[in-house]
Amino acid sequence: MSDNKHHAEHSHEEHLREKHLMLDPLPRGRMNEMVMESMMEKPTWKFWVVFGFLAFVVVYFLFYKWGVLITKGQGEAGVMRPDYWGIFLVNTVFWIGISHAGTFISAILRVFKAEFRRPFTRAAELMTTFGLVQAGFSIFMHMGRVWLFYWLMPYPNQRMLWPNLHSPLTWDLLAITTYLLSSTMYLFLPLIPDMAMARDRSTGWRKNLYKVLALGFRGTEGEWTHLRNAMNIFAFAIIPVMFSVHTIVSWDFAAATRPGWSSTIFGPYFIVGALHSGMGAAVLVLAVIRGTMKHMDYFVRGEHFDAIGKLMLIISMAWAYFFFNDYMVQWYGGDKWTQQLLHFHEAGPLGWMWFAMLFTNVVIPWATLWNPKWRSNPWIVGFVGIAINIGMWFERYIIVPISVTINRMPFTWRMYTPGIEVPMGIGTVAFFILLYMAASKLIPLIPVWEVQEGQMAHELKKFGRETVVSVSELE
Amino acid sequence: MTEEKKVVDLLAVFSDLAPAADAVEQLRASGVHDDCMNVISGIPVTEAMLGRPRQWTNVPRIAMGGAILGMGAGIFLAFISPFLYPYPIQVSTQAFVPGPPSVVVLFELTMLGMLLSTFLGVFLDSFFPNYRPMKYVPEISDGKIAIFVECPDCDEKKITDLLKKLGAESVKPAEAQHL
Repeated sequence: MSDNKHHAEHSHEEHLREKHLMLDPLPRGRMNEMVMESMMEKPTWKFWVVFGFLAFVVVYFLFYKWGVLITKGQGEAGVMRPDYWGIFLVNTVFWIGISHAGTFISAILRVFKAEFRRPFTRAAELMTTFGLVQAGFSIFMHMGRVWLFYWLMPYPNQRMLWPNLHSPLTWDLLAITTYLLSSTMYLFLPLIPDMAMARDRSTGWRKNLYKVLALGFRGTEGEWTHLRNAMNIFAFAIIPVMFSVHTIVSWDFAAATRPGWSSTIFGPYFIVGALHSGMGAAVLVLAVIRGTMKHMDYFVRGEHFDAIGKLMLIISMAWAYFFFNDYMVQWYGGDKWTQQLLHFHEAGPLGWMWFAMLFTNVVIPWATLWNPKWRSNPWIVGFVGIAINIGMWFERYIIVPISVTINRMPFTWRMYTPGIEVPMGIGTVAFFILLYMAASKLIPLIPVWEVQEGQMAHELKKFGRETVVSVSELE
Repeated sequence: MTEEKKVVDLLAVFSDLAPAADAVEQLRASGVHDDCMNVISGIPVTEAMLGRPRQWTNVPRIAMGGAILGMGAGIFLAFISPFLYPYPIQVSTQAFVPGPPSVVVLFELTMLGMLLSTFLGVFLDSFFPNYRPMKYVPEISDGKIAIFVECPDCDEKKITDLLKKLGAESVKPAEAQHL
């Protein structure tokens, strides 16, 4: 009897260790080896096929088509009165949304000391930086005469003109630049110790690369103190920056007195939408990393998908709340143009998109993520992530070109038919994936030192007859 | 004829935190000043865990300085640049220097200044980038903890024996190397 009880306790502990990365420590040297092997493993032919295909898509669909757009002019795109804002703007908002996942996962979860974040903060931070690159490309495509982008910059010039700082579009420049720079710095700071680790374990050109990027880091008390302080400042400060970016993006719309756009809750609605698509993309990236890279099943486990799945479910509920709040107030207002627009959303030629948006953003997450077993399955959660991203792209399409179709001048109404922006948009998706694939071969995707730090802080503790997970606060 | 005192310059590698913390304590007890020790590790071990004096960092001050500079840039753009036109442009009844939009500009530039200078602060305080030869052992990134002892008035043998007794995996002369 006593033996049985002892065996049950032991197997419960084993189960906890299998489930939680933080309770299943390996020697640091072994974890370093695993991360280096996953990064330096010789790419398979499948990798090169996908990489080559994506490179072709980027060169042809993104850069060549962009050249065509520049040479022939914006007439190549489908933007025309009244739809001056088309897929370029949809993609800008979409990619900025994707970029929110990194900060959310890395900064907010760091501030709240959510331990499950540790193995995948970097994977999420990379999404932020690469997503913002695509957002920048998309807005430059929209700009048309992209070579004059420097006119946006505030500097003394011969034209004696300064940017109009009363305009939400200029705030966009300030906010996106601030966010891109700060998220790249926030990606780099915790990467320094891992670069030092990679430097100590590599040879040839890699050694030189990591040596330069490690900046001479040794891990002295002073270096860690400066780094820890800086990371704390970043974690706290980048959160309001993240909120400001998508709020300002929402003001591009909400500050205009157009039907469907003039809404006081567009700021938080956009932020929640950004987190929704960002978390969906993050979980998809994690599922792919886990499924394709060596040893990643040790670092990324069901518990992580379970935790992100819970967040996705909560964010989906918040998105539904904001969507309904926005819809309700506009519907109740009774403005005839707004009524016309709402009817057009649901029953117009692209009404299917409106329903698909609700299905993928609300029905699919709610129908799947309530179940802990499904929520812990990388491929199920990854599928939900894809669905959410399709839905959120639809949402932006509905807000941008579909909503500008209906205005207060019915003689201008015209359905938007995209042109060159479709392949160029596909090009940004390919470029995002391509950058990620390249990064997976050059950058340790797992912050090993953060994982080890977390493992040091976790232990199993007995409370009466129950064995539970206990975490110490090391800082 | 007086014998010239040799500077003890040792590097002791420990496999775990507890013996390293004990070693720090014992070294101090045997007369090695805190300034003569430096600990390097592969994870951020706090000073309290090692029983070491609190490390000074300028990063928060540099960040604050950057925030003030950023806010200055914001004030310039929001409040001064409208006056820089040869003929200042007044649009209808709109405020010449509007309040709420200026808050947006001030916020973004203050945050940008703060975060850029925080990043810069790490470089300044840590002397990054530094590609000169430095005392180091690569085992650090495998989770080991090393203590450097650089002491002008210490007995090398005594320190070596002490460190070994306290569980050091190896105690050897510290040599600068290219990382």
